[in-house]
Amino acid sequence: MTDSELHPYVEWIAREASRPVITDQAARDRVMAAVRAEPLPRSYFGLWGRLVRPRPVSLSPVAGALLAAGLVGIGVLAGTVTHNRDGQSTVGQPRAAVASRLPVSDTVVRFVYVAPQASKVYVVGDFNGWDTTKTPLMRSATGGVWTVDLPLTAGRHTYAFVVDGSWSTDPYAPLAPDDGFGHANSVKLVRRGTSL
Amino acid sequence: MTLAPRGWVIAKDMSDDAADVQRVLAGDVDAYAALVDRYYDRCARYAVRMLGNRDDAEDALQATFLRAYRALNRYQERDRFSAWLYRILVNQCRSVAARRAHRDRVFVREEALLLNAPDRRPNWSGEDEEFVQRVLNELDPLLREAFLLKYIDELSYEEMSAMTGVGVSALKMRVKRACDRLRERWERIKDD
Repeated sequence: MTDSELHPYVEWIAREASRPVITDQAARDRVMAAVRAEPLPRSYFGLWGRLVRPRPVSLSPVAGALLAAGLVGIGVLAGTVTHNRDGQSTVGQPRAAVASRLPVSDTVVRFVYVAPQASKVYVVGDFNGWDTTKTPLMRSATGGVWTVDLPLTAGRHTYAFVVDGSWSTDPYAPLAPDDGFGHANSVKLVRRGTSL
Repeated sequence: MTLAPRGWVIAKDMSDDAADVQRVLAGDVDAYAALVDRYYDRCARYAVRMLGNRDDAEDALQATFLRAYRALNRYQERDRFSAWLYRILVNQCRSVAARRAHRDRVFVREEALLLNAPDRRPNWSGEDEEFVQRVLNELDPLLREAFLLKYIDELSYEEMSAMTGVGVSALKMRVKRACDRLRERWERIKDD
């Protein structure tokens, strides 16, 4: 259990402190009573929550192309009609800005981490569901710099790096307040229209 | 990430945790009791050793399991339930210790006896536990935390770093200092 060179007294303290403590069922019951007084975890609360909860949707390439064409078509039709304040409508030219009004991630942000000895680096954050395997950084040709470019929505994002399995903050970014879950996170403010 | 304190009574199949969480998220609150039962004792050992008394430990445990319940959605996206829960526990123990730092609590023998039923450990003396707990309490909280994670929960330094947000080198220094303090204490008392 302990290091071979550990002082016998220290080892004894560690061994004795490792003994389990006995807990009573009443303490667990108190935990469950408090839990039952809580609302259900948020995103699964009720039918409406399940209906509006974002979920991934798989589309075949053909269906995706048709959907995109349909959306552009709606935008083109909407762009040809202008409603005046008196309720009259006039027909105008289609606007080139139609596509840009679709809800897309508008800013590409480059994440950089310097770790010459690392074998794997990932970025995790609110933008990828804190998934530790979803967004790998690519090692540069010179080997020490890891980067990835991500499209992010404008606003405040918290994130961290996972370097060979260990969480690490970005040394060049401000830290977010403690999230209460044991991780220090970094903060990136993304402005609309800025890039990298 | 797949870290978890060694010696934990991990679900016999890791999918047990995931299945219980899914049941809770689907509306079956009672499924959370299985998770509480599975992890309460291990969490209790750390909390008692860290905070030095049963009342504070129970507060930290209650806050830990409540906080985990409220944020249950987030666990799936980060790592193993046990490690995620333990990170919350470490933070909650820090919070409780900070809130109650002004109190001079004493780990009385009666509490030690309550927490350590003799029939479960025939050779275990409540006096020993009281003594060990007092020795641990003498350590600076940051040193105590590092010592417990290293030698009680037997985490690697990388696992400790992931759990505490503290760098590996700093954690090694804290563990070394904790061991130094304990050894110095021995030097002072060995001739008494």
